Amino acid sequence: MPPFAAARTECSPIPARAGVGLRFPHHRAVAETRPDVAWLEVHTENYLGGGTTPAWLDAIRRDYPIACHGVGLSLGSAEDLDRAHLARIGHAVERFAPALVSEHLSWSVAGGRYLADLLPLPMTEEALAVVCRHVDETQNFLRRPILVENPSTYLRYRHSAIPEWEFLAAVADRTGCGILCDVNNIYVSAQNHGWDASAYLAALPPAAIGEIHLAGHTVRRLEGGVTLRIDDHGSRVAPAVWALYAEALGRFGPVPTLIEWDTAIPPLETLVDEARRAQVLLDQAAEKAGHADAA
Amino acid sequence: MPTLRELQHDIARGLIARDAVAAAHVVSDEIAAAARLAVYRNTIVAGLITALRLSYPAVHRLVGAAFFESAAQVFLEAQPPRSACLDDYDPAFADFLDKFAAAAAIPYLAGVARLDWAVSRALHAPDADALDPARLGALDAAEQRRIRFVPHPSVGLVRADHPVDAIWRAVLAQDEAAMAAIDLGDGPVFLLVQRRNGDSEISRLAPATWHLTASLCAGRPLQDAIEAAGDVDAVAVLATHLINGVFTAFAVDEAGGRQPREISL
Repeated sequence: MPPFAAARTECSPIPARAGVGLRFPHHRAVAETRPDVAWLEVHTENYLGGGTTPAWLDAIRRDYPIACHGVGLSLGSAEDLDRAHLARIGHAVERFAPALVSEHLSWSVAGGRYLADLLPLPMTEEALAVVCRHVDETQNFLRRPILVENPSTYLRYRHSAIPEWEFLAAVADRTGCGILCDVNNIYVSAQNHGWDASAYLAALPPAAIGEIHLAGHTVRRLEGGVTLRIDDHGSRVAPAVWALYAEALGRFGPVPTLIEWDTAIPPLETLVDEARRAQVLLDQAAEKAGHADAA
Repeated sequence: MPTLRELQHDIARGLIARDAVAAAHVVSDEIAAAARLAVYRNTIVAGLITALRLSYPAVHRLVGAAFFESAAQVFLEAQPPRSACLDDYDPAFADFLDKFAAAAAIPYLAGVARLDWAVSRALHAPDADALDPARLGALDAAEQRRIRFVPHPSVGLVRADHPVDAIWRAVLAQDEAAMAAIDLGDGPVFLLVQRRNGDSEISRLAPATWHLTASLCAGRPLQDAIEAAGDVDAVAVLATHLINGVFTAFAVDEAGGRQPREISL
C-alpha cells in the first residue's frame, strides 16, 4: 500500500485560537451563518464515505481551517493496525487536507473485535513500545506528524507501572508526534484516580502541545455514595476545568483550543459562546506571552 | 503480569460477554472493578445501539425502542463488530433479525431491515461518476455482448416476500392510514435502491428486470445476463439504468472468455 503524497489541496494552519467540534446537526447552520469561530474539528470516521455528509465538509472547509480527529485507529492494540482503516483515514486526509490530524492514547480492537469506546491502556513498557510503533506507522503512512490525545479513564490496571503523564511524554519524545492535551480528560482522570492535575500538566513537554480540548463532564453517583466523573461531552465546561485550562495556557502559551460537545448537542450558538469564553483566556495568555517576549 | 495481548483479550471478553476474568486485572478500591468495567460496557452498548438505530430507522419504529435495544444487545454479544467502520458491520443485523425468534411475530421485519440497510448504505456509499453511455458506442456488437458492468457503490437490490417498500415509507412517515391500507399479500417485491442527488431512491422493478439488473450488478457478461433473465426488454432496461447512473464503469471479456480487458475504472 503506497503512502499518500502531500495533500492535493492547500490547507490553512490552525491558529492558536478557539474552535468548535463540527457535528451533523450543525452542518447547515455553519455553512449558512459562518459563525465567528477560528476553526473546526470533525471526527474523521464520520466522513469516510460519500454522499451529502462529506460534501458538507467540502463546502465548509473553504471557510475554516479543519482538524481531523480519529476515534477508530486503536493505536494501543497489541495486534497490528487495521491497514484498511488506516487507508480510509488516508483518503479522508487527502480529501479534506486538514491542518491537524489526531488520535487517542487508547485501544478498541482485540482479536479482530471492535469495542466502540476508547479503552484505557496498561501503563507498561510493552504498551509504550506498541503505541510508539503504531504512531510511527501512522505518521509514515500519512507522511505527517499526528497528535495523540490523553484519555479520560474510569479504571486502572493492577500491573500499570508508569504514570500516564510520563507515558504520554515518552510517546511524543520517541515518535516526534505532538500531544493533544485534553484538559477536561486530565481533570476527570485526576478526580477519578486521585492524581494531581497540576502535576500532570507540569510533566508534559510544552513544545509538543499542538492542541487543547475542552468539554463538559458529569458526576455519576454509584452504590455506596462514591462518585465517578464521566467524560460525556454533554454540557458546558466545568468551572474547575476552566481554571485548569488557564493554568495550562500559563504553562504552554496560547494553543489552538477546541470545544467538544457530543451528547445532547445544543444549538450552535451555545458552542460559539463556549468558544468565546476560551478565546478570552487565550487572549490573556497571548498578552502575557507578549509581555514576556518584550521583557 | 499479563502481556498486552492477553490483557486486551480478557478485557474484550469481559466487556462483550460479561466474563469475570476481566475484573482480575483491574484495581478495585471504593469502586469495584466490575462497576468500573460496567462504565465502559454501557458506553459500548449504547454506542452500537445508536449506530444500529441510525442504520435501521424503520425497524426501530416498527418494534419500538425496548425491543430494538434488547435485540441489539443479543446481536452485539453474538456478533461484535470487527471494524471501526460500522458501515461494514450493520448488514449482519438484518440476517440476525431474520433468525431472531422474538421477531418471528413480524414476518416482514427482516425484509424491512434489508431495505433500511440498503437505504443507509446508499446514502453513505463512496462517490463515483456515472458511466458515460457514449463509451459503449465505441464497441462493436461482439464486444458489447461481452461487457461486464461495475455498479455504482450506492446501488442495492432487495427482494422481499412482503411490500416492504410501502411499509418502510408508511412507518417512517408515521402515516397510520397508509399503514392500514397495506395489503401484506401485495408481494413479493423486487426493489432497486440507489443514491440520486444526495438522497436515497427506492424503485420497484418487474421480477425479470430485477433479475437482469442483479446479474449485471454482479458483473455477469451482458449476453449471459440477458439470456438468463428470460422475457425482458434488455435494451430498455439498460438504457434506463445508464440514464439513472446505475453503472460507473465496464470491462469487456476477451473473446473466448479469458480475463476481461479494462475499459474504464
